[in-house]
Order: sequence, then C-alpha cells, then structure tokens
Amino acid sequence: MTTTVAPGTNAATCTVTDAGLKGEERTDISEQSSTDLLGAADIPWNLVVWNDPVNLMSYVSYVFQSYFGYSEAKSNKLMLEVHKKGRSIVAHGGKEQVEQHAVAMHGYGLWATVEKASSGGDGRGRKGGARG
Amino acid sequence: MAATAGDARAAHVAKAFKYGLKGITGYLEPAERELLRGLLDDVISMLEPQQSSNEDPLTALIGLDMNVKEPSDRALLRLLPNVMKNDDAASLEFRQLTERSLREGKIGALRATAMGLDRNELVLTLEEAKFWSMALNDVRLVLAERLDIRDEADADHVHAMQDWSQAEDVESYLALVYNFTTWLQESLVQAMMAAMDRKP
Repeated sequence: MTTTVAPGTNAATCTVTDAGLKGEERTDISEQSSTDLLGAADIPWNLVVWNDPVNLMSYVSYVFQSYFGYSEAKSNKLMLEVHKKGRSIVAHGGKEQVEQHAVAMHGYGLWATVEKASSGGDGRGRKGGARG
Repeated sequence: MAATAGDARAAHVAKAFKYGLKGITGYLEPAERELLRGLLDDVISMLEPQQSSNEDPLTALIGLDMNVKEPSDRALLRLLPNVMKNDDAASLEFRQLTERSLREGKIGALRATAMGLDRNELVLTLEEAKFWSMALNDVRLVLAERLDIRDEADADHVHAMQDWSQAEDVESYLALVYNFTTWLQESLVQAMMAAMDRKP
C-alpha cells in the first residue's frame, strides 16, 4: 500500500454515517406543511462507493480529494473504509445531487451507486417502488 | 482495491511519472506508446455508441438514449455501471438519461491521452494528467475483466507475473500489460498528488 493515513484532525468530525439521516425524522415536517415543501429532493440519499480489486488505493483517494474537495486525511479514511469494509458512504444529499456524484464517479471509473439513506444496510428501508 | 505495483520497473524501460519544475513528466519508449495507443483505441471502440438509423436527432442532441440497455459485456458494464444496486428499472431509466454523456466523457479522456502520446515529450498539466489517469483506469478495468480479476487474490496472482520472457500465451501477455498500466497509473497518481500539494 502506498498511501498512509495521516491522523488528521478533521477526519473524525467528518465521519459519514447514515445514522442521523433516517427518513422517519422528517415525517413531522411533511405533516405540518400544506404545500410540497418536502419534495423528493429533500429525502436524503447516500452515495456509496464499492470496493473492487482493480482501482488503485492512491487513485481512489485522489478522486475523493479532487472531486469532492475532501482533505487528504478524510479521503484516505473513506478510501480505507471502502477497501476494508467493501463499501463506504462518501457523500449524501438530495437524490439528484448524489446521482450527479455517481455519474462523476463512473466517469473516474469508480464503482458507485446511490441508495436512500434510510435503507443503508439496516434492512428496514422504506423503499417506494417494490421492484427489483 | 489494488495496492501499488512498485516493483514492475524491471519489465520495461518507461520512466515513472514525476512532478518537478517542468510539471508532471514521464517517458515512454516508442513500443510502449504503441501498446498504449492500441489499448486506448480498443476501449474507445467499446464505448462508441452504436448508431441507430431511426434515432430521433433531437433526443440524441440533448443526450437522451431511449434504446439503451444494460451492457451484456462485463467489461462494458464495469465502465458503465448501474446506479442502483437492487433496482434494475430505476437504473435503466437513469442510464437512458446519462449513459451517452458518460460514454462521451470517457472517450474524450481516452482520446486526449492518445493524442498526448503523439508528442515527443511527455509533459502534462494537472488537467491533462487527470485525463490520463482516468483513461489508464478504464484501460485497466477492461483488462482486469478480460483477465477475470474478481477479487484481491486474483489481482495478486496477476501481479506476480512480471517477467516478459515468460509471456507465452495471451493470458500471461495480458497480465504483463495489465501490470505495466498499473505501474504507470500509480506513478502518475503519485506525481499528481505531489502537484496538488504544491497548488493549494
């Protein structure tokens, strides 16, 4: 491995988890609003990058730094999470936003998918469409 | 993910990319340039969209492709992956909107790299180096599919193949080519990181 993880100060504060992004937390807001304040774009989505045996660790970290503007420490942390755990949530936001990130990742050759934040591997996702 | 391929030097005469006063520089022998050109052309021809005669020119103009399907070729699917893991219908819908421009972007980087190979001196700006790293990555993804690299153990097995005098069959030749492009991309990314450190 060529990249080492510097014990960066901001790595801890930037930890990406889907724990705080449950769709349920927003239900009260949608009940209050009469108009469509809570559109589809407001439901949080995750951008997931998956491990593969081809992409170089240095390159993955470079992509996180140059595309997202993440620090070297944060990029290395996310890269190692992909490498060791098989996947990492590297960004979140509205659906269109994370889809745009996914296409950018595909442009770089990284294997990325989008998923609803509430279905992030805990098996109780609230999927709208029941296909697949 | 793959770790560095730092010991692949002995197999070829190219010089690692480095960052210095002139920018990001590298050196490739004519035969190595020829090899890379061939690889880049192969990936370009994989990515060039099939022209259908009854295509609506307006939808083509705005980048839509309603006839697009999930690629059956594994290598092409790796270059153009589904955007959702367990929703083929949503992935296909997204593909119709985005795949054409994704293909065009990749072809652009591959062509820019091929053109860079025509220059006598390999001196790259950070932007050019970005296209090179993307193009080399796509070449490696395709080679890896042809070599059946599915996990880290497969990658290690291929990486162990370093001696060009052992290249007796297509697979060992492909493995050596893969290792060469891996080494080249790694040295390029290191040079790019060094360049980024100087330019905040």
